[in-house]
Amino acid sequence: MSEFVIAISAIIGTFFIYHLAIRIHRTWRYSLTAPVLVATILIISVLIIFRIPYETYMVGGKWINELLGPAVVALAYPLYKYKDTLKQVAAPILAGTLLGGVVGITTGLLLAQWAGFESAIVYSLTPKSVTTPVAMAVTDTIGGVMPLAAIFVMIAGIGGVLMHHYVFRLFQVNHYLGRGVGMGSASHAIGTATSMEVSQLEGAVSTISMVISAVVVSIITPSLVQLMM
Amino acid sequence: MEKVGKMIVHIVLLYIIFQFGNWIQRTLHLFIPGSVIGMMVLFILLSTKLIRVSWIEEGANYIVANLAFFFIPVTVGIIDYYDLFLGKGALLILIVLVSTMLVMGGSGFFSQWLMRRKGWEHE
Repeated sequence: MSEFVIAISAIIGTFFIYHLAIRIHRTWRYSLTAPVLVATILIISVLIIFRIPYETYMVGGKWINELLGPAVVALAYPLYKYKDTLKQVAAPILAGTLLGGVVGITTGLLLAQWAGFESAIVYSLTPKSVTTPVAMAVTDTIGGVMPLAAIFVMIAGIGGVLMHHYVFRLFQVNHYLGRGVGMGSASHAIGTATSMEVSQLEGAVSTISMVISAVVVSIITPSLVQLMM
Repeated sequence: MEKVGKMIVHIVLLYIIFQFGNWIQRTLHLFIPGSVIGMMVLFILLSTKLIRVSWIEEGANYIVANLAFFFIPVTVGIIDYYDLFLGKGALLILIVLVSTMLVMGGSGFFSQWLMRRKGWEHE
């Protein structure tokens, strides 16, 4: 019974805080106020203040997590809706995403190696740009630590959401195509979620980039790692 | 109320397709997650008109617009790992951020440049 109460409170609490975060984002439109960031920080604050362990929160949180699967399936709808437009820009999406995959692996490897981290950590960091299950599988193949890989994936996702305004300004990316490719290649589904908040078309581009990136990274990482280490 | 009922039916359908994607992944031992396979399955079903847009539209629109909500429990999980990034570990965050920036800027810039150069642009 009490488990049920905990679950319901966690779900309703998350829902409420998420909507509060959306309101905050509507009032102050900055990267820093992206709903996923604000909601995460608010919930972490609540957990710390009331000394609630993460496992307790997850009694309810796991039900939201369970819906992440169908949520990703739902991304097929914008893809279908914009399929004619997307077909015309398929080549630049593919080329940009391929470049992104290579840049992500090589810069991650080089920087972590140069900073002197042990190889298990370097390998865990390498596939950070792709969605969690794929990154964990790749990490396992090349000899990294799977939970660590999941954290780096999250940092790439949240960090991308946090920095995207500045990055796009710096690289003069202003078209929905470039923005979608950038978000999907660098920050997987968390980036796609933020793109969807801008427009379904940008989100659709981001979805394609995310999927291509997952395939590309899982195929080329093992050989790139062998080549560079 | 009718709208909410419709939305629930749509989401249940999406969930069934997700489980089907999981089943394909397990049976064929694929490295691509079941949810992504489910996405491809739904795309094919929509394209071949085996599933009508009206069967999933409201639910899909709602979910897609609120995608960030479903990530919150995962991102909150970072709470268990904060001590990992004290000291030298903080450098790892910086490395991930720099690399992410280069991926985002590089891939975005390159695809946009290609599109404009080849005159693929259309608005």
